[in-house]
Amino acid sequence: MTSNFTWVDGGIVGLYLLATMIVGVAIRRYVTRVEDFIVARREMDVYLGIASLAATEFGIVTCMYASQAGYTRGFAGAIPGICNAIAMAVIGYTGFCVKKLRDSGVMTIPELFEQRYGKFVRWLSGVVIVLGGLLNMGVFLRGGGQFQVVCCGMNIRSLENAMTVLLIGVAVYTILGGMLSVLVTDFLQFVVMSAGLLLVTFLVLGKVGWGSLTAAVDTHYGAGGFNPFVAKGLGWPFVLSNLLTNTAAVLTWQTCIARLLAAKDSRTGRKVYTGTAFFFVCRWVIPGIWGIAALAIVAPGVLAPIGLQFGEKDASLFAMPYLLSQLVPAGMMGILVAAMLAADMSTDSSYMLTWGSVIYNDILAPFRRTAWSERKGILWNRFIVALIGVFLLFWGLWYKLEGNLWEYLQTTGTIYLASMSILLIACCYWRRANNWGAIAGIIVGAALPVLALSLNLFVEVRVPVLDETGNQIIQEGQALTQAVGLARHYVGDNFVNIGTYALVAVAMVVGSLLKPPARSA
Amino acid sequence: HPFWASLTVAVLVWYSTVTIYVAIKGIGDIRRMLRRLSDSKDAGSGVAS
Repeated sequence: MTSNFTWVDGGIVGLYLLATMIVGVAIRRYVTRVEDFIVARREMDVYLGIASLAATEFGIVTCMYASQAGYTRGFAGAIPGICNAIAMAVIGYTGFCVKKLRDSGVMTIPELFEQRYGKFVRWLSGVVIVLGGLLNMGVFLRGGGQFQVVCCGMNIRSLENAMTVLLIGVAVYTILGGMLSVLVTDFLQFVVMSAGLLLVTFLVLGKVGWGSLTAAVDTHYGAGGFNPFVAKGLGWPFVLSNLLTNTAAVLTWQTCIARLLAAKDSRTGRKVYTGTAFFFVCRWVIPGIWGIAALAIVAPGVLAPIGLQFGEKDASLFAMPYLLSQLVPAGMMGILVAAMLAADMSTDSSYMLTWGSVIYNDILAPFRRTAWSERKGILWNRFIVALIGVFLLFWGLWYKLEGNLWEYLQTTGTIYLASMSILLIACCYWRRANNWGAIAGIIVGAALPVLALSLNLFVEVRVPVLDETGNQIIQEGQALTQAVGLARHYVGDNFVNIGTYALVAVAMVVGSLLKPPARSA
Repeated sequence: HPFWASLTVAVLVWYSTVTIYVAIKGIGDIRRMLRRLSDSKDAGSGVAS
């Protein structure tokens, strides 16, 4: 693979990485308590919160799946971003759940659950949050490494080295400075990332043109490329599934909630939500345009060999990085790679820290017989973040994606999003909610997505490959078929998702009503 | 395609303007946060929650 990445670009990237490391490590002297490490002593104000949340929720993996959506679905692929922005704006404006959550003064959601559902539910919630989160973030590093290899024309064997170096850099300042380092480096990354994204987008629009974008979508996807309700394979289940996922994510996704809980008060946290809402449209539309540009000018035959090199079944993931490797000139390539590394570092650091805080605060809680000193607490938090880093490295190297990246992230996220969001709503607004309902909801919420993932991974069905007119493709006298996961073929990812939310709600209500009321003394 | 065209333009305008505003205000937020942390650094129970 050739690319326009030169030593000048390498210098720009190196300088940026060095600056980030120095700033991140310098912040460590402010960390004296566990509260500093996990929630920045709740000193975060509105604009730092907006910059931090916008940077955290835009990683290379975000860019990869959003551009894949643009490449494979046209403009309709940006619907999840619109759903996310609507959910965030409405929840921020109304304070639905998040006001009560922040006012409670907890450091994590399971800590709030203990007040309502008891210690066991707190511990169990911590377990499913960590399980769903780790499976989700496990693909981040691989996506980031693949982008660098394709975009910079790096040797494929350098992928592991690139991933390792990137992770060590992020882990060092996250381990030392916790949330304080994450917030300050996020801010730096927000500025670098935004500048790079804008420059590249104007370059793409200038070189490809608006007309070519719409023509490409029209040619490949027709009306469905602009309207998800009439798109093949999308329709209302896709929109509803994304609305549910994104609402639940705004309420309970660790990286989002960490900003709310690090805010000075609930009013500040809500302002961070409303102020960040439109950035969630940007994070789908900007890479989506890059993906559509790839659809317009990249020959599909170029992508298949790239996919094979990585052992990935779906080569559409590499359309955008390949486009950028050919389109972005030397010099500007350094700015692009620095911007993308900025995006990835802010994401990785925040994910490691916020999921680590659940392990410390909620999973280890029953094992702390006596109160720990601040020093011991910080040491354990640092150790946990380092362990998550090691997990990310090995999972990122081992796991190969079976299908669409966003659908994978949605399904693994649902392992806890469905149950935690419904438990949180019930905790805040339903007096009859109790630990029976909570446990039933958690079990159902985790079991269904895990079952669907397992069926897709281990049981495949052969289905005919159809051309654009819906006719079966025949090659050398034989019908062409492809392997599809069992749950994906018979149920579909979107219905698995919608069904999980519905059944968790039923489990929560039925479980709570079945528990006999406590007898008064 | 008025919806997607206007949304794309809105995204580009937003990213070109609001980002700069957030960045400028964010610097003030960081300075205030670090100052408050410095002031309270010398003030604790020594026990983690």
